[in-house]
Amino acid sequence: MRATRPLALAAAGALTLTACGGGDSVDTGGGDGGGDNTLVAAVSAQPDQLDPHVTTAYASFQVLENVYDTLVVPDPEDLTMQPSLATEWETSEDDLEWRFTLRDDVTFHDGSEFDSADVVYSYNRIIDEELSNSFRFQNVESVEADGPDTVVIRLTQPTPNLLERIGSFKGMAILPENAAEDLDLTTEANGTGPFQLESSDASSTVLTAYEDYWDGAPSIDGVEFRYITEPAAALTALQNGEVQWTDNVPPQQIESLDGDDSVELETTASVDYWYMSMNYARPPFDNRDVRRAISFAIDREEVAEAAWFGAAEANQTAIPEDSFFYYDYAPFERDPEQARQLLAQAGVATPLTMGLMVTDEYPETVTAAQVIASQLAEVGITVEIETLDFATWLDRQGAGDYDAFYLGWLGNLDPAAFYQEQHQTDGPNNYQGYSNPQVDQLLLEGSTETDDEARKEIYDQAAQIIVDDVSYLYLYNPDVVQAWAPGLSGYQIRADKAINFENVELP
Amino acid sequence: MVVLAGVSVIVFALVHLVPGDPVRLALGTRFSQETYDALRERSGLDQPLVQQFFSWLGGALTGDLGVSFRSGDTVTSLIAERLPATLTLAFASILVALAIAIPLGTISALRPRSLVDRFATVISQFGISVPDFWVAIVLILVFAGTLGWLPSGGYVPLSEDPLGWLQRLIMPAVVTGTVSGSVITRFVRSSVLEALGADHVRTAQAKGLPARQVFTWHVLRNALLPLVTVTGVQLAYLLSGVVVVEIVFSWPGLGQLALQSVQSRDYPVLQGAILLFAVVFLVINLIVDLLYTAIDPRIRR
Repeated sequence: MRATRPLALAAAGALTLTACGGGDSVDTGGGDGGGDNTLVAAVSAQPDQLDPHVTTAYASFQVLENVYDTLVVPDPEDLTMQPSLATEWETSEDDLEWRFTLRDDVTFHDGSEFDSADVVYSYNRIIDEELSNSFRFQNVESVEADGPDTVVIRLTQPTPNLLERIGSFKGMAILPENAAEDLDLTTEANGTGPFQLESSDASSTVLTAYEDYWDGAPSIDGVEFRYITEPAAALTALQNGEVQWTDNVPPQQIESLDGDDSVELETTASVDYWYMSMNYARPPFDNRDVRRAISFAIDREEVAEAAWFGAAEANQTAIPEDSFFYYDYAPFERDPEQARQLLAQAGVATPLTMGLMVTDEYPETVTAAQVIASQLAEVGITVEIETLDFATWLDRQGAGDYDAFYLGWLGNLDPAAFYQEQHQTDGPNNYQGYSNPQVDQLLLEGSTETDDEARKEIYDQAAQIIVDDVSYLYLYNPDVVQAWAPGLSGYQIRADKAINFENVELP
Repeated sequence: MVVLAGVSVIVFALVHLVPGDPVRLALGTRFSQETYDALRERSGLDQPLVQQFFSWLGGALTGDLGVSFRSGDTVTSLIAERLPATLTLAFASILVALAIAIPLGTISALRPRSLVDRFATVISQFGISVPDFWVAIVLILVFAGTLGWLPSGGYVPLSEDPLGWLQRLIMPAVVTGTVSGSVITRFVRSSVLEALGADHVRTAQAKGLPARQVFTWHVLRNALLPLVTVTGVQLAYLLSGVVVVEIVFSWPGLGQLALQSVQSRDYPVLQGAILLFAVVFLVINLIVDLLYTAIDPRIRR
């Protein structure tokens, strides 16, 4: 894995008023949220609710990451799956049965003991009630206990990415048996994680350390998540000591803050990717040459720079180079001449008008779309940017009412999730309408191949065709950007944006 | 009551006319069709619209505004949670606004085209036209950042921490209070000017009454009516939440709740919030009318 790049924050910048005072700031923050040994973290939004099996909001998972556990977890370094509540697992000869051995020293926050019945209950709750993540159990035939320490998952077909399906985030959390009946899970929690939920209201969510945590009690007494939506306010709060950690850093200040020792800032390329996708049902975008022309006309570096002020890595495939499934392939260098040729070859009369649908839910995409528009104008394509609110955007995407759209996929750990669903004929997220039998065949092989190396090779081949055909026009991976008080230790920034305060120590 | 019934129909229709599917928003981008159908059924969105309306209305009449799609909490508890913060900010802002508007408006009316008058005009123009977002950020950077005198934002209940409550209230109240104050200043100025030119004031002056008595008894009382009206309007506006200021100062008020519910098409919360705002307007209008009769005995007849 490429080392994360520590950047210290600097005094300069557009909003210099924050930094140039120099006077000692009064700690006006403290007060609420527990003792002195409580970490106060500024996050940009309030969790919509706290039921891990129901919510899909990142703001909720920032909190839940610290409250619940899963059977396996992504390694913070390379995001491969590691033991957590399950200590080990084995698969049957035919790869259709997975046996997980569970830890026997785990208790829930209310003191009750964790065993296989809790796992069976949790998974069956997701499956039976068709909750948000039920698609992750698509190949699962049954989940059963075999004694208190063993859980058996039976599959309908070999599923090499099962560990990713059940462990990539806390949406697959293990709740105590009958939790949904015993608790109001939207506002209450009873997990096995390092912190327990103390309170949650419209200003903040407060967690306290769980002393009997199976991996040892956290070194801090608790965490208070404060919702500060405005990035300039969050940065000010960090600089004057009201909070000790934030992921809400104004992007335009990331570079200019270099060199300030009042704040420690780290970035790492995330496993999120942003892309543009054209509608195959709307000629001439069904023409491979037209799509390739557009891909040749775009300078991805420039787009990334505009969208994230440089805090993003241009990429022509899905995931960044630190990931196991990264495929080094970049056939498109910006080449307007070739783009014009391809358009002529396709018999497309210029100027060609193309609608590009973006959403103000992600304001950076609006800026990036303007750059794309100016780049495409050079080859004779007039881009009409349509900025919609996300609800309308999703409606139009679902109805196929667009020429092209711009969006991202977040938290991509396994190619079954980020190639198969998007590029298989009739795949659930193949909104563009891509269909290539060769890709279908490769994706099918990849979804059942259980040898990691062989599997990577299959997906590499698929990725190459997907990129060449411009099913998706991959653009960049934004950086994860987080900042904290100097001297705070034990915190690790992660490419999957999971925020875990288990080992943090305050300055 | 008739007004409220009308409002509830319009609210419901408008909210459902806005494009966007709350179920797709709630599920994010990855989900199965079965999950979609299950959630749609649980939210009651698979029912015919008319039936949805009457079950909502039936609940609303008994004080049950339904359950939020987004948070799973009841709408009444979501609103109740945010009401104290909104009330605090609204009343504090009106106090700031009146503290600015009454002296500034009166003095500039008494000395038209004087230096004070021109200053007041500029100030109120400034307050109306400068974006509150910008002012809010500048205040944060100066008072929370550079000087470090005040917290950058947030809210604590008065009962928990009176000092912290006051510290956090100052900046947002000043920002919204300045905007409202600028509007009210203009009304005060014009209504005092009008009262000064009225016949009975000239009569009183001609009778040789002391200037102070003429002013407080004949001018101010008459200028009070328009002031009460415009203050009522401003208060109603503040009570329905000041979205931008709430967001910049992390103030957990109704404006943020309404904004979130629009973004996520959380129909029950949105309907509940709009209904509440309608009630607030009606109640404030009623209070203003009652104040009229107290101030001006002629209206009583």
